[in-house]
Amino acid sequence: MTEGERKPSRPAALAALPLIILALVFGTLPMWTDDYWIRVWTGVAMWAGLAASWNIIGGYAGYISFGHVAFFGIGAYATAILMQPGYDWNFFLTLPVGVMIAGLFALVVGWPTLRLRGAYFAIATWALAEALAQIINTLDFTGGSFGLSTPGNPSTWFFYYAMLIATVVIYLLIFLLFERSRFGYKVKAVRDNEAAAQSLGINTTAVKLQAFMLSAALPAVLGGINAYWITFINPQSVLSGEITDQMVVMVLIGGLGHLWGPALGAGVLYLASTWLGAEYGGSTSYIAMIGALLALIILFLPDGLIGLAPRARGMKLIRKLLRPAGASVGDAPPGDRP
Amino acid sequence: MQLLIQTVIDGLLVGGLYVAISIGFSLAFGILDVVDFAVGEWVVLGGFAGVAAQTWLGIDPIIFLPAVFVIFALIGSLVAPLIYRVRTSRYARPALMALAFTFGIAMLARGTMLTTVGFDPRTVQTSLVSGTLTIGGVHMPWLRLAGFLFAIVTTALFMGFLFFTRTGLAVRAAAQNKRNASLMGIDVKRLSTIVYAIYAGLTAMAGVLIGAIYTFTAQVGPQYSLLAFFVVVMAGLGSIGGVLVAGLFLGMLQALVTVYIGADYTLAIVFGVLFIVLLVSPQGVLRRGLAA
Repeated sequence: MTEGERKPSRPAALAALPLIILALVFGTLPMWTDDYWIRVWTGVAMWAGLAASWNIIGGYAGYISFGHVAFFGIGAYATAILMQPGYDWNFFLTLPVGVMIAGLFALVVGWPTLRLRGAYFAIATWALAEALAQIINTLDFTGGSFGLSTPGNPSTWFFYYAMLIATVVIYLLIFLLFERSRFGYKVKAVRDNEAAAQSLGINTTAVKLQAFMLSAALPAVLGGINAYWITFINPQSVLSGEITDQMVVMVLIGGLGHLWGPALGAGVLYLASTWLGAEYGGSTSYIAMIGALLALIILFLPDGLIGLAPRARGMKLIRKLLRPAGASVGDAPPGDRP
Repeated sequence: MQLLIQTVIDGLLVGGLYVAISIGFSLAFGILDVVDFAVGEWVVLGGFAGVAAQTWLGIDPIIFLPAVFVIFALIGSLVAPLIYRVRTSRYARPALMALAFTFGIAMLARGTMLTTVGFDPRTVQTSLVSGTLTIGGVHMPWLRLAGFLFAIVTTALFMGFLFFTRTGLAVRAAAQNKRNASLMGIDVKRLSTIVYAIYAGLTAMAGVLIGAIYTFTAQVGPQYSLLAFFVVVMAGLGSIGGVLVAGLFLGMLQALVTVYIGADYTLAIVFGVLFIVLLVSPQGVLRRGLAA
């Protein structure tokens, strides 16, 4: 449960207990709630997955992507286009297509920018999302600004489980790759001190690029499921910048670079916004609210909600690594790229 | 041929305004070490300030420009210490946090504008400047000429401030190396507040003029941010000379794409060019910026 630290005194079964309870609750959810709540929790699952995938590049690799909605949108459009009458693909077969295209886009954008300062990457990803929305607006086969509809769909149960399973798989992948493997240590090493990582023989650009491609491929799956679920997509709904904004905010609320941060942030924010009745696109004050929330969290609660937990040593450790004694802003340590 | 010359001239005239937006932005980056995602919002807020001056106060927006500068410099001097605080904090990855912080500020500004004025397109009306200057068949609206002139004058003043005053010297020193600058007795925090205030004021003034030339809505902030980013990346982050070249080039590129290909493809083409620049020369056109 805690970041990369196992206390031998605590039996593994006890650590897994909350997980087992969670799995039981979510696994059986549709059997004891009504349709409305199933839909809400489908949304929570989707956002938890999106935030977690953003956390790969933002939290583990230390580069901020302001265009992550592009990959979500790519997945949504790949599914919608291939399910149009005339192509009639099976829904599950469309998901890998979206993943491949998203990964390809990530490769093309990441390759020149990931070797530079983080600011360049942030700008480039943002530009990609804006440009993609504009292009899809003008093309014919994407339905232009009007959008596309996907064929009639199965029950709410189906979507709940599809979204949940996708998100759980994303989490498992992240856990295995970033908390339990050499690759994860490499990525974190590059984040914490790039020069040192390079001197140990890590190909830093390649590692960052792999992390970014993974981070981009995962939202495409969720985008595909989402397109099938809401039956109608257009550039304003699946390529709006607010989706990215929300991902970033969720990760920061929960805890940047922490395994459970994104899920916590997504749950809290999505349920809160549902409760407030602020639906996306419907309310402009929601944008202002999210913005204010983001600024306030960064000013007063930089470690997110996870940082409030009693055993949040993971973040403390990161902070110790990142701020060598006596470092000032003027000449940031080599690993710290603005 | 006639059309081509006309298009290039139109583009260059608008490019002047892009230079005005980007020069302060580039310097704010140099000294605060933060890419300000709110740059486009300052432009739009400036445009709304122009509209407000005209509808509520009955003052012509062009006369109101100095007041716009003062108002936004004040707002900027309130925001700057917060950015500075985040940037120099002891958090994990202060640089990224500061990026996300300006992003939040931009969203707050955009959401507030959308909530108060909605999605209606607006223009800044001015009666001071009207008509068209025609030289050899090329039409140049006086308004655009005035905008270009304004951009040249403010940029020149700004450069004068940077290169011929003690404070300007301090700014350039701090942009090069903050630690050494503070060892020489420069108050970097105060300086970054001054720079950010000047930048916000400049950008908002340019916003009034942009609003007089183009219609704008509360949503277009990100587009102008993107244009400013383009200029600064092409110039090389922190390079002042490159901004002049890149700003004029961007204005021209935009005009050419709009006339010969279609306005819908501007962003895509701009993105493509940006991509090639990053690939070939990440330090910018003059190879003077900071990249890695």
